[in-house]
Amino acid sequence: MSLLKLENVTKCFGGLVAVNQVSLEIEAGQFVGIVGPNGSGKTTLFNVISGVYFPEEGSVIFDDLDITHYPPYKRARLGIARTFQIPRPFSSATVRENIAVGAMFGSLSGKVGVDASLKIADHIIDRVGLQDHRNKPSGTLTPVEKKLMEIARALAMKPKLLLMDEAMAGMHPNDIDQMVAFIKDIAVEEKIGIVAMVEHIMRAVVGMAEKVIVLHQGSKIVDAPTKEALEDPKVVEVYFGRAPEE
Amino acid sequence: MFLEQFTGNLLQGIVLGAVYGMATMGLSLIFGVLKIVNVGHGAFIMVGAFITLWLFNTLGINPIIAVPVAFAVGMGLGFVFYYTTMRRLIKAPELATLLATFSIGILLEELVKLMFGSEFRGYNWVVGKINLGVTVLPMTKFYACLGSVIIALLLYLWFKKTRAGSAVRSVVEDDEGARVCGVNVGGTYALSFSLGIGLTVASGVLLTMFIPVGINPYMGGGYTLKAFVIAVLGGLSSPYGAFFGGLVFGLIENGSYTIFNLIPGVEPFALTRFLSFVILLAILLIKPTGLLTTK
Amino acid sequence: MKKDISKYYPLIPVFAAYLVLFLVGRNISGMWQLVAMLLFYSALGQAFNIFLGMTGYVDFGYVAFMGVGTYGMALAITKLAHIEGLGIWIIIIGFILALLMSTLLSMAVGAVALRLRGAYFAIATIGVNEGFRFFIEGARIWNGSEGIIFVAELNQILGRKTASSLMTYGADIIVLVIAVLAAVVTLCYMRSKIGYALTALREDEDAAKVMGINTTKYKIIAFITSACFAGLVGASSWALKTPYVFPPEVFEIHYTVEAIIIVLLGGAGTLLGPLAGGLIYGISKYYLSILLPGFQLLIFAPIIIIIIVLFPEGVVGMLKCKLRDSTLARFII
Repeated sequence: MSLLKLENVTKCFGGLVAVNQVSLEIEAGQFVGIVGPNGSGKTTLFNVISGVYFPEEGSVIFDDLDITHYPPYKRARLGIARTFQIPRPFSSATVRENIAVGAMFGSLSGKVGVDASLKIADHIIDRVGLQDHRNKPSGTLTPVEKKLMEIARALAMKPKLLLMDEAMAGMHPNDIDQMVAFIKDIAVEEKIGIVAMVEHIMRAVVGMAEKVIVLHQGSKIVDAPTKEALEDPKVVEVYFGRAPEE
Repeated sequence: MFLEQFTGNLLQGIVLGAVYGMATMGLSLIFGVLKIVNVGHGAFIMVGAFITLWLFNTLGINPIIAVPVAFAVGMGLGFVFYYTTMRRLIKAPELATLLATFSIGILLEELVKLMFGSEFRGYNWVVGKINLGVTVLPMTKFYACLGSVIIALLLYLWFKKTRAGSAVRSVVEDDEGARVCGVNVGGTYALSFSLGIGLTVASGVLLTMFIPVGINPYMGGGYTLKAFVIAVLGGLSSPYGAFFGGLVFGLIENGSYTIFNLIPGVEPFALTRFLSFVILLAILLIKPTGLLTTK
Repeated sequence: MKKDISKYYPLIPVFAAYLVLFLVGRNISGMWQLVAMLLFYSALGQAFNIFLGMTGYVDFGYVAFMGVGTYGMALAITKLAHIEGLGIWIIIIGFILALLMSTLLSMAVGAVALRLRGAYFAIATIGVNEGFRFFIEGARIWNGSEGIIFVAELNQILGRKTASSLMTYGADIIVLVIAVLAAVVTLCYMRSKIGYALTALREDEDAAKVMGINTTKYKIIAFITSACFAGLVGASSWALKTPYVFPPEVFEIHYTVEAIIIVLLGGAGTLLGPLAGGLIYGISKYYLSILLPGFQLLIFAPIIIIIIVLFPEGVVGMLKCKLRDSTLARFII
């Protein structure tokens, strides 16, 4: 039984087809990378999965439930968490409060109160290394710290599926390695079903993903285990262009 | 006999609607370009009304000349308010711009009250009537309608044929894209805001040609609300939509007033205004982008 | 146990301020009129803050809820006055009716308007305010544009002496109670899931949705709560102080403007903000009306603009920033 299944999902904006008949399956606990050049539809796909958009065609099935037309908050309750390409902190609230929001309204919604959520937030802050900023308004953090908080907030939701959108963009290669290791640890430790990433940065993909799905101009062109996918000539062509004729 | 009355009523509604429509074009233009709702809209109409009043009663200048004068004053006011206040609020949350424009409106009302007092005034410009077959219109109303249509046409030509007009249209579509194409977005904002205010003040003149009495510093409130209904009807971003929305609204207002008059035990004037808000809410619920847009 | 109580420390400055106000008004002759006005503005601000401050949405038609509350009290008094022996219970029924009517109206408005964002929401709320007023006038319900005058009935119910002291004194005490109640509710919301949800949706509504917050539900909660308090304020400060109600007066948009000024000036979304704002605005308005009558709005209009552009967090907002790391921080939120 797969955790997430997309069947022939198509999303259009006016005349532009952003996602074209994409089908994919992700198992519980699987690490999957979704890659593709700019404009290939990755973020739109994420938006369809998290409920920001509803597709024109096709369905989104999570845990055997057809969530295609569920509003975003319902999906969060079911266990879908998402980070954004550009972090979106609740600026006037402290780091602790931000992360507590995730705990309060995520998959634990209705089971934890404010105090319990704050405790969960503290635990995650220690784990993630943001102790120095615990009570600072999140608007004052550096961009990298904001990214870290963004991930922490999503983790606080105790998700089954974590969609990470370009989480590593703009980070130093050493930091990326650290991040990858950290996320892998937490995912296994907190039993987070799957971490799907949308990554230009190959280093992160190779480090984390068991399988890779490649998008190009809205369509899926490759869906295979990582090593295979990255050596696939189609992928090379899409990223680097055709090799010059000898 | 009934058909004649009916057609006459229709014509009256269209004539009224044209003026209403023109009065709303500025609101839609400002929203379309700057994404700002000018909640002080009515106060600018009031300024136009007072300019007309003053020119006519004090200097004996007829209202037709007042139109370009009011337009110029409006553009001036627009530039001043843009550069002092609105410019800083372009990226601010809606609350800020709503309150800022609202306060500007209040400021204008109080200043005018200071200068002219709060009594109700009017002027009397007699230029005869015109017989349109099914109905007879005072010439002033006819001029007002004609003026509105001409201004709407001029605006249309300006958008289509001039560089500045194209710049404005491009910014409405996509301000980042326009910027990347080399359009002076900041200047376009300033121009659009001023143009919008200019149109609004000028429309005040035309509205007084229609209703030359009841001019007082607080007359704007009712017009702001009507303008909202019309703008939403036609699509908040489109000046053309505003014009046609105005026509529709004029028809409805005129028609419903006539009908309500026939019902005993109600106050037709108040009920007509109630109807306009029901329409507003209905559109906001069903098709907030406006009846006349295709989105 | 100790930890639980410290959550409510911020109420201490609130209680203290109202106590001082009350004592000043009682003991210094001639001050009660000013105090009554300050109580009204604080209560109004506190009530409005629950929606405007916590969600960031502007309800330009807020005064409609005050108007409806006033009608509630007026209707209770006029319809029940002839029943012997009910006495003060009629007043209590009046409050209940006011609450009921504001809740109903806000639910109806909320269903329509709260699906809309930003500017559309603002326009819709103006529409409701004006629409409701013209409905009353147009359909001639509740005496239409003639309004209701119920001095006689009030005297009949309570007897001249009690009625008179209610109008000059009792109503203001009720307003004080309402203001304190509103502050308590505000703090309770702020400390609970509701507060977190509202802060999140105010900062970034789309991100809040993705985090699992049903933004519509929480907006409605804030909206109805705010409207209910407005209804109570209308029922007490308007109906019981000046026993008549006219549609153009009770739906007059400038009360909404004053509420906005008070909340912004003091600090939107803070607990003490509306109190501070109410005091500053009330005192300024009172003395301005003595020194420069007729000029108040003229002076306040540019002040609002300046606040919006230069000091968007308001007085208490700035205070919070300065006092962040001190012990006082626990009391000022």
